[in-house]
Amino acid sequence: MLDINTLVTFSSRTGSTEKLALAAALGAVQSRSNIRLRWVPENVDVQTISLVPEWRANRDRMAREYIAPREIDYLWADVLVIGLPARDRVPFPELKTYLDILKGLHIAGKLRGKVGTAFTTESIEQSDPALVSLCSILDGLDLILVPPDATAAGNTVDRARLHGRRVTEVARDLKRAGTTAFP
Amino acid sequence: MGFRALRVINDDRIAPGRGFGAHAHRDMEILTYVLDGGLTHRDSMGETRTFGADTIQVMSAGTGVIHSEFNASEQEPGHFLQIWIEPAVTDTEPSYQQISIDPKERSGRFKLLAAPRGHNHDEAMTIHQNAFVYAAVLGSGENLRQKLAPGRHAWVQVARGNVSMNGEELAEGDGAAVSDEQDLSFTGGPDGSEFLYFDLA
Repeated sequence: MLDINTLVTFSSRTGSTEKLALAAALGAVQSRSNIRLRWVPENVDVQTISLVPEWRANRDRMAREYIAPREIDYLWADVLVIGLPARDRVPFPELKTYLDILKGLHIAGKLRGKVGTAFTTESIEQSDPALVSLCSILDGLDLILVPPDATAAGNTVDRARLHGRRVTEVARDLKRAGTTAFP
Repeated sequence: MGFRALRVINDDRIAPGRGFGAHAHRDMEILTYVLDGGLTHRDSMGETRTFGADTIQVMSAGTGVIHSEFNASEQEPGHFLQIWIEPAVTDTEPSYQQISIDPKERSGRFKLLAAPRGHNHDEAMTIHQNAFVYAAVLGSGENLRQKLAPGRHAWVQVARGNVSMNGEELAEGDGAAVSDEQDLSFTGGPDGSEFLYFDLA
């Protein structure tokens, strides 16, 4: 079976997006992919975070359990999975942190042909305009996009897991077909 | 790599508050044996548990598990053995077991920690492999004997102290592979010994 490397990056405030990111990563593992899980901290000052005890507790825990994505992680990956919180169908400002990293890699031609996907906490539950705009951004970065399956059954965690599995299997099929997507 | 189905034994010493972030396992039977301190385990099956030296944990990764493990203490270092055994069958449903053991149960005798699935050992956890895992604690000069069935193999891992096995001196951290022997005799060293014994196909 062909080796596939899947990088799951996510931002999460109270743990909801983390839960879905873990599920997507688990789906990739079930598809026999190697995985790396990376957390992108929010650009919010500590005083503001401390106003919400659950947020502060989760942030402290995640800071202990994860490291932030490094360039070498993106270069290692065949598949990039990005998970973002969303509220009222608008992605949180953490998106900018991803784009700062991804744009640099794109300009250097280091993303060409990698498979990419994204989800928001709301997109797993329903069609989400925030996801559409997120995907259009990824499309402009030369990634081969695999959007979430809108017809997938199950609860939100099951759907995230199936999505992680699906995107990995698409990447493996592409690699097996010998596409130039994987230099 | 490894010996029979025993893939690896990690001897982990973890600083206060530190540990291993979220990472994946697949198709592996993972036993965690705490020597000092406590460990907080969190996994994709929804399990979050903190346990210490009175508890042994087995996680069957099967189709896939993502988990993290951290020293439960912010003040004290932790010392753990983590044992990986290759399963005889793959793609099983992930599962998690833990048992509490009284120190007396492994004092001067072998305490069975894990046995193959299908064997009726009510007090032991089950694994997807034809392997039996025991722990024993011996005082200074205390002796313990074990029979190894023909065709079986054993691995001895010294967790603490020194132990003599059929005249061979083993120190803390040492491991010994045994094949073609049927009678094994263990004697605790000057400071006693705590060791694990694996009976393997």
